[in-house]
Amino acid sequence: MIGVILALTLNQLVRQRRTLLLLLLAAIPVLVSLLFRFTAENADAESFTGGMMSNFIANLVLPLTALVVGTAALGQEIEDGTTIYLLAKPLARWKVVVAKIGAAWIVTASLVVLAVLGSGFAALSGDDDRQIVFAFAVAVVFGSLAYAALFVSLSIRFGRALIIGLAYVFIWEAVVSQFISGVRFLSIRAYTIGIADTMTEASGAIDATGLGPTASVVLLAVVVVAAFVYAVRRLQTFELGDRA
Amino acid sequence: MTAAIELTDVSHWYGNVVAVNDVTFAIEPGITGLLGPNGAGKSTLLHMMGGFLRPSAGEVRILGESSWRNAGMYRHVGIVQEREAVYSSLTGYEFVRLSARLHGLSDPRAAALRAIDLVELGDAKDRRTGGYSKGMKQRIKIAAAIVHAPQVLLLDEPFNGADPRQRLQMMDMLRAMAAEGRTVLFSSHILEEMERLGDRVLVFVAGRLAASGDFRAIRRLMTDRPHSFAIASTDNRGLARALIGDEGVTGVQVDGERITVRTADFQRFAMQVPRLARDAGITITLLAPMDESLESVFDYLVSR
Repeated sequence: MIGVILALTLNQLVRQRRTLLLLLLAAIPVLVSLLFRFTAENADAESFTGGMMSNFIANLVLPLTALVVGTAALGQEIEDGTTIYLLAKPLARWKVVVAKIGAAWIVTASLVVLAVLGSGFAALSGDDDRQIVFAFAVAVVFGSLAYAALFVSLSIRFGRALIIGLAYVFIWEAVVSQFISGVRFLSIRAYTIGIADTMTEASGAIDATGLGPTASVVLLAVVVVAAFVYAVRRLQTFELGDRA
Repeated sequence: MTAAIELTDVSHWYGNVVAVNDVTFAIEPGITGLLGPNGAGKSTLLHMMGGFLRPSAGEVRILGESSWRNAGMYRHVGIVQEREAVYSSLTGYEFVRLSARLHGLSDPRAAALRAIDLVELGDAKDRRTGGYSKGMKQRIKIAAAIVHAPQVLLLDEPFNGADPRQRLQMMDMLRAMAAEGRTVLFSSHILEEMERLGDRVLVFVAGRLAASGDFRAIRRLMTDRPHSFAIASTDNRGLARALIGDEGVTGVQVDGERITVRTADFQRFAMQVPRLARDAGITITLLAPMDESLESVFDYLVSR
């Protein structure tokens, strides 16, 4: 049953015009890296790649993609009234939530991993150490899951989940958690970079957050579980027209 | 006979607005119509029965079970919502098969084709629902709702957008379901739809149950209520004099180029007006009911 809803949601997400725009967003770091490769001679490619991964992809491409996809995966159906076709079925609500988060995760991770690999391989030549690329490829997969769970659950509670998500990404994560190191444990971006940081020896090249591997993975798991439980509970008591 | 749907002291309010006010009724298998003007609380009632609104007070039971937080109920319940939305990227067949698969049916393909056949959409089943007309969307929604042969079918304004032929076909289908012992509850604000389909009717006004029972008895109540008519003729004063002498007329008011007449006996009035006008040598140029809106009929029923 999860597979049926997952396939339906993937079909809906892939067909949306906004997914094409996200594909263009994912192409930006690849194009910039290509530009770097062919124009910047004698520059530190590893340092450039580290900056691109942590400052552009983890800071912007990943959260923005997850936000658009995550809020659309179920929120769009609640908005247009088609969610009743899922909820008026003898299905445990957790299955619906697993499928929705799963679909948002797959689409987000696919686009962002594409950006990471494309950008990394474009910027680094065969002689460079590509460990950082694989580290980020793995890290954004984990980060995508946490963001997807968070934004899917937000979209069940709030009609304006997109705006709330934007505030979280661009005010909380991009500004507050950058300057107040004490609140980094409340930033999915910090967990993502923390995971990447532990998998590469080129730590100096990335904007490390100081969160260790254990803390990053545990906190990320806490976000996923908390968002999942909240989403299931909201969906169990879902009322038509009760989103704020 | 056991009631398929039971509401006991049910109320629902949105903030300070009371949408459904202390309603109690039971619905047995067969077709029942939920009649009321817009804003009467019909959709709120159906949403509570369908498990998509928690009653603020009271209890809603479907087939003996509470409808709130009871996903298992949908094994026996089908819901057709008023909103037109369907998964527009799916074909009609894919949409109904999806419903069958989510119900866990053993042969979703066969169930989907059977349901599509029932709503006579076989020719359009391979077209995307996004390109369907409003009436076709209504029918494919019904097909998705009946794919698991539910015991209880809840339909919110199901005939919106359907053309007359489609309406008749849908009505035949719902009658056939009722004849199989299923419970079909549909809402409408159109009297004619009730007349054609609803043997039993629940009339709602402003969130309250105004009348319930056999449609014909309620219709009679509606017909026997006081009526007002606007009449224009070649001699308004002469016609007013003739009408005031009739025992069925309770009031006449001459108002410029027309007269307003009130009667407590609609049948007698309909027979007497042409006769009185002819005897007085007066030609009637206008005869129009003044309070035939559904709301005025409901207001009358509520005040009784």
